[in-house]
Amino acid sequence: MKRTDGELILFWTLPAVAIIWIAAFFLFPGFVHPMSPSMSAEQVAAFYRDPHNLSRIRYSMILFNWFCVGLIPILTLIVMQIRRMAHRTPIFSYCMLGIMAAGPTLFLVANLFWLLAAFRPERNPNLTQMFNDLAWVSFGSGVPFLIAQSVILALAIYLDRQSRPVFRPWVAHFNLVVAAALAPAAFTGLALGGPMAWDGALPFWVRNVAIALWIVVMGIVLGQAIYRQRAEDRQRVGDRVPA
Amino acid sequence: MTDLAGAGPRPHRVDGKPDAKDGNKPAEFVPGQPDMWAFVLFEALVFTSYFVVYMIFRTRSPELYLQSQAHLSLRIGVFETLVLLVSSWSMARCVQAARQGAYRSALTNALLTMFLGVVFLVAKVFEWTRLIRMGFGFSSNEFFSHYFFLTGIHFLHLLIGFVAVGVIVYQLRSPARRSQELVETGATYWHTVDFLWIVIFALLYVVR
Amino acid sequence: MSAPATEAVSPLEAPSGSPLHRIAWHWRHNPKRELWLAWWTIVAFYQLFFLVFFVLTRTQPPPSPGWDVARVVQWFHHHHYGLLIGFGIMFLITGMTAPSNALIAYSMRRMSVSPAFAYSYLVLYSLSAIPGMLLMCIALTVGAMRPDRDPELISWLYDFAFLSFVGTMGVFLIGSLVWMLAILLDRNRVLPKWFGYLNLCNALTEIVVSPAWIFKTGVFAWNGLIAWWIDMVVFGLYTGVFIFLLRRMIQREGFGTGPLPDLAPTKETDPSALAETAQ
Repeated sequence: MKRTDGELILFWTLPAVAIIWIAAFFLFPGFVHPMSPSMSAEQVAAFYRDPHNLSRIRYSMILFNWFCVGLIPILTLIVMQIRRMAHRTPIFSYCMLGIMAAGPTLFLVANLFWLLAAFRPERNPNLTQMFNDLAWVSFGSGVPFLIAQSVILALAIYLDRQSRPVFRPWVAHFNLVVAAALAPAAFTGLALGGPMAWDGALPFWVRNVAIALWIVVMGIVLGQAIYRQRAEDRQRVGDRVPA
Repeated sequence: MTDLAGAGPRPHRVDGKPDAKDGNKPAEFVPGQPDMWAFVLFEALVFTSYFVVYMIFRTRSPELYLQSQAHLSLRIGVFETLVLLVSSWSMARCVQAARQGAYRSALTNALLTMFLGVVFLVAKVFEWTRLIRMGFGFSSNEFFSHYFFLTGIHFLHLLIGFVAVGVIVYQLRSPARRSQELVETGATYWHTVDFLWIVIFALLYVVR
Repeated sequence: MSAPATEAVSPLEAPSGSPLHRIAWHWRHNPKRELWLAWWTIVAFYQLFFLVFFVLTRTQPPPSPGWDVARVVQWFHHHHYGLLIGFGIMFLITGMTAPSNALIAYSMRRMSVSPAFAYSYLVLYSLSAIPGMLLMCIALTVGAMRPDRDPELISWLYDFAFLSFVGTMGVFLIGSLVWMLAILLDRNRVLPKWFGYLNLCNALTEIVVSPAWIFKTGVFAWNGLIAWWIDMVVFGLYTGVFIFLLRRMIQREGFGTGPLPDLAPTKETDPSALAETAQ
């Protein structure tokens, strides 16, 4: 089909969005060395009031605000691939549609709280700390939809029984591992220090690395699936043209 | 497991219209959809729970309730009750006319019902405005919270009743439709709305 | 969505034996496994939901909005671990609402009405989880995690949590009305008409709960007899009923063993190819 259906354009927004996310991630001064929940209100307020930090906080969060929903087109392309799987019902694609509506929204909520905290840094430190807490809890614990996304995708792949499945089985295993890696982050509210705090090894590093890995791996296999689909379509059209 | 939509053992076509050879339809279990009866019974149950709550709180502070009730206009209440009763009568005539095939007359009665419903709504809004101007609102005191809540939720049910009458009018207008079942279903709902108002009227206006 | 009845193959017999063996068999062979997967997810989710909200966190039945600040802080102290662990569980499992919405949207796709109903419902309920439940989980987690926070702020978080949970009305209102309309207009009898009306009851409870935004005491407060207790009875009944009806719907699904739909068309099954060979 020579008609441009735009899917490839959507797909290639992925590296652009990924680069923007990574840039914003490192720009935000609270991520590279993650802020600790054990910081007192005065320390949190000082963090936001520090002129070196303030503009970095605001601009990185504005960037995130623009692009945090930027992966939704990619997720939709995954939904399109799920529809090609050998399922009897559209249940799995509906699940994915629902999940991808909610997941980025939660990220957006966290983003709003960070921006709020940074808007009037001269505020009462207790208020700044509360907004900061709300942002970190939304961000760190906001994994339910990511977990569901990976589990649903894995199940969809396991049930895709055809001679050439859309995604190979290892993609399903990978998704389950990612879901398991994200799970501890759900309980980050329990600890103000140590490996389970929102700056700790599990809820921060493992979680974010797992998400990054998921984006990279799924991006690659999605691209392969889309290109393969197009090659098959072209071949079919070519075969039908009479000699 | 085939007939699960609750249409019952009647020999209706799938779309709910009566059989073409209508003369010897067997007697029905209830007029209209049995589903509607289930719904109105459930709603009546829920309203009953609201009434019980009202009565409980009334017995706790009888003076407050008595004093507040004195501000209600019994005349408007009676007028509204009469309007709804007449609307139920016109609705019943509509059903009867439809059953006999006198569809023009049925349509007129349905429209009359709707008109009377509008009269009730106007009277209600007038009554509410009067009370609010006197200084009594939803959060004024306990009695008026209950009053505005009960009359408000009834008002909402009446608005839904307009949808029901609308469906009836839509059915009656074209000979291609005219499902007797739907007409009776709508009528069931309307009568229930009337019945609920009578109880509300008795509780809020009359019982002192 | 209908598998053509071209082959009269007898359905596979489910084996008897240990539950694990039976589950494994169904996973491999049951043509309706996606539907059953979604249905069992709904059942599991509501049981966990009940456990977390009613038992672990004790946020349902809700505490009173009429409490003073000191009493509210005391409540947080009392429920410290219950809140943090319970809502941690919710942060893990909220994604289980997706199969529930998918199955209900699917029920509407089986009806004779436009797909717009299914998609509207899917969108409405997918976005309802955040304002209607997760905001409360987040707010109460933040409230509980620092017991020495300024009491006024804890009190604000308390209000934020319960009002967002109880007071997110629109999505459930409109969503229920969409499902109701689909059921009442449906000619395929996917779900009984009385359930359509029950959706109206559920939608009305969203209206009845709205005074919670106005009152801090009495029957219309967020923990009141009318705004919470009676509403919760209706909602509980509604949920139990739709779980039961969805189960019946799946059982009635007429999946045979025909060719799988929506497979990427091969040379032989491409519609235009079929049309050519038919000539």
